[in-house]
Amino acid sequence: MSTNTNDILVQGKHVTKSYHGNVVLEDIEFDIRRGEVHSLVGENGAGKSTLVKIITGVTPRNNGEVDFDGHELPIDFPRTFVEKLGIAVIFQELSLIPGLTVAQNIFLGREPKLGKTRLIDKKKMVTDAEAIIKKYNFPLDPKAEIDSLSIGKRQLVEILKALSMDSKLMIMDEPTASLNLKESKLLFDIIKNLREEGVSILYISHRMEEVFELSDRVTVLRDGQKVALLDREEISPERIISLMIGRDLSVSDYEESVLKTVSGDTILEVKKLCSEKKFSDISFSLNKGEILGISGLVGSGRTEIVRAIYGVDPITSGSVLFDGKEITPTVKQSISLGFGFVPEDRRQQGVFMQLPINKNICSTNFDRYTRMGFVNEKGEDAIAESGINMVSIKPKDPNYIVGNLSGGNQQKVVLAKWLVRDLSILIIDEPTAGIDVGAKDEIYSVINNLARKGVGVLLISSDLPELTRLSDRIIVLREGKMIKEFKDQSITEEEVLRASSGLI
Amino acid sequence: MIPKLFHKYKLLFILILMAAVLSIISPRFLTKENLSNVLWSISIVGIMVSGTIYSPITSGVDLSVGSLAALSGVLFAKFMITFGFGLIPSILLTIAIACTIGFIHGLIITRINVPPLIITMAAKTYLFGIAMLISKGEMIPIMEPSSFMAIGGGKILGFPIPIFIMVIFILLSHILLKKTAYGRKALAVGANPVTAELSGIDAMQIQTIAYILSAFTAAIAGLVLCSISQLAYALLGQGLELEVITAIVLGGTPLGGGGFGTVFGALIGTVMVGFIGNGLNLMNVPSSFHPIVTGLVIISALALNENLRMGSGTKLKKAKL
Ligand SMILES: Nc1ncnc2c1ncn2[C@@H]1O[C@H](COP(=O)(O)OP(=O)(O)OP(=O)(O)O)[C@@H](O)[C@H]1O
Ligand SMILES: [Mg+2]
Repeated sequence: MSTNTNDILVQGKHVTKSYHGNVVLEDIEFDIRRGEVHSLVGENGAGKSTLVKIITGVTPRNNGEVDFDGHELPIDFPRTFVEKLGIAVIFQELSLIPGLTVAQNIFLGREPKLGKTRLIDKKKMVTDAEAIIKKYNFPLDPKAEIDSLSIGKRQLVEILKALSMDSKLMIMDEPTASLNLKESKLLFDIIKNLREEGVSILYISHRMEEVFELSDRVTVLRDGQKVALLDREEISPERIISLMIGRDLSVSDYEESVLKTVSGDTILEVKKLCSEKKFSDISFSLNKGEILGISGLVGSGRTEIVRAIYGVDPITSGSVLFDGKEITPTVKQSISLGFGFVPEDRRQQGVFMQLPINKNICSTNFDRYTRMGFVNEKGEDAIAESGINMVSIKPKDPNYIVGNLSGGNQQKVVLAKWLVRDLSILIIDEPTAGIDVGAKDEIYSVINNLARKGVGVLLISSDLPELTRLSDRIIVLREGKMIKEFKDQSITEEEVLRASSGLI
Repeated sequence: MIPKLFHKYKLLFILILMAAVLSIISPRFLTKENLSNVLWSISIVGIMVSGTIYSPITSGVDLSVGSLAALSGVLFAKFMITFGFGLIPSILLTIAIACTIGFIHGLIITRINVPPLIITMAAKTYLFGIAMLISKGEMIPIMEPSSFMAIGGGKILGFPIPIFIMVIFILLSHILLKKTAYGRKALAVGANPVTAELSGIDAMQIQTIAYILSAFTAAIAGLVLCSISQLAYALLGQGLELEVITAIVLGGTPLGGGGFGTVFGALIGTVMVGFIGNGLNLMNVPSSFHPIVTGLVIISALALNENLRMGSGTKLKKAKL
């Protein structure tokens, strides 16, 4: 393929980065052409987000050069400079300001001014925000506060914010991690339009179908090294995966789960559960050893329901029965009954960013390694170690600060802190958000194993293949109401999606 | 290797550096007598630091400890002298009342959601008011019993007893933070209260206990202060809370939680504050200059410490603007 230098928007040469002596990116060469969708793939911790941070000046590179539009970029620079250059970024860790509204976040630092003054024109800001929301057809209210939005909606705000800047390069670090198929499709159309307009896109995702559908070229990273650059015609999901993990995916990785024996005993029953404005009249039961999938679009009430069952949010009416006995859910009681709860928002609710891996994993286990209030450090280490091994957290160092882990590895920490416990019910809300293909399979087998041991699993996932593959049964919600239940095991993604979007 | 070691023990290095400079400036600095004097002068603050540190660790703050120490002294004097309750009952009653006050502050902060800064600032004023009311604004001399007076006046191995009390409290607090479930939970609540709740940690309870702990050590400090100064007086605790907070922050425990906290650090911070005052005295700096110099030294120590701790993180902050 002939490429004139003018076709190239971003060029990186010998880019190297290490943290405290650990090399995270080694001598990386890459380029992004004008008007192409360039995907960046690799396992958790391969260095993808780090490369984004280097291009956008968030983290200084140790070595090498990055050229943008013909000019060499400095080593680190502020956000305002990034915007001036014409780079819009959707970071993996959402960077919205919680107390502000959707409109305020979209125009943060670029607020429309009243005439020639420096005062903010609030009305114009809201109408401008309304205009873009309408243009892209996102289900958002410009005046809603970020705090009140689900993760999926926040993701949409972040995308809109990036779209609202006229940029030459859009970087998207796992933009669909918490989006439903329908919303993802919306995003793909936008991406394709942007490409038509000549905007370059650097796209990071663990979902191979997306990479396959969108990419003009793909760069594959493994352990901080660039292992391949594929052109459109060389791209296939299998090829990418084997390059990512450095071997062919063995058959066993794809093996269907062994048939489980669902014991038939009901462990959890929910009757006519209501919560003001969030959901109403929800009834279902969960058997021992069963994986019950809960599907619905973002905002359908699925997260709210499991939060209420776990005891975080109040219930206005209806009842919850555990093992046949009625309970009034509280978090403390749920934990002592053997519940585990993986929330959808890992940063705000799942992990302690500033604490090391071991303190994170052990935060649910005080009953197991303290005696008369004193900590048994050996016991603590043992629990942490088993958690780290269970989901292969990388690095294995129990004293590694969780905030310094890659996004996928942080998610594994959230899973680990519950998996180390003896569970009766596991509630998992987007369990594999940000987790790479290989590790996903590992986590699926962990979940299947738990079910085989008799644990009841409530699974929420926007990832339909995941939902249909794991679930024995799926209930579909829309606007806080149960609208359908799929009972047989041959549930297809099509059917679930049609039900969630109200087509049946 | 050296930078890593320095990184870990930077506070101690800064302290040693201060000591080195002071010993060059004044030959009298490095004598047992002078050092013992410094430690003695900081023992009250040190005792209070050991308990008060849990409020910043759980992302709060307690500004009422100075007034509460004074009130404890006044209460104790009333119980023992006016009501004739006897030494031990008076001490126990005083501590119980102080802890109840801390408990109530904790409840107001966690259940009614009043910011800790506001409620403890108000408490600083009203507790002082109560102490004034009870003591009628007068100093109450305490001369008896001798066992109580020995606390402030006695020595062991040539060092005043309050130093030992401080060391014991610092050690206990260190153990509480590093070896017990409460310490682990306090750090977790400071790091992220929502994650803590969802993990089954009762964040409100942990925060409430933090205010009981600070009240407890304030009461102990108030009693020791009575014994040292041989009187109870409502004005005795004035400004102590700021010294306590300064020592804690200098020691590397940030206000507002964040999963950090170090009791030994806070002790070093306390000693630093002591060194500054002592150095100024040894150099015969006029006392009107003391507050200015103290302020400047604290700012530079903090700047140095903060820079080291944040490392590359500061860059990230800058970019996030
Ligand atoms: N601030 C930091 N301090 C120390 N190590 C870090 C820091 N940030 C990232 N790392 C390490 O750098 C490596 C690469 O991380 P990065 O976030 O780039 O991975 P990633 O490819 O984006 O992974 P994921 O798919 O999980 O998001 C990881 O091993 C991570 O632990
Ligand atoms: Mg990443």
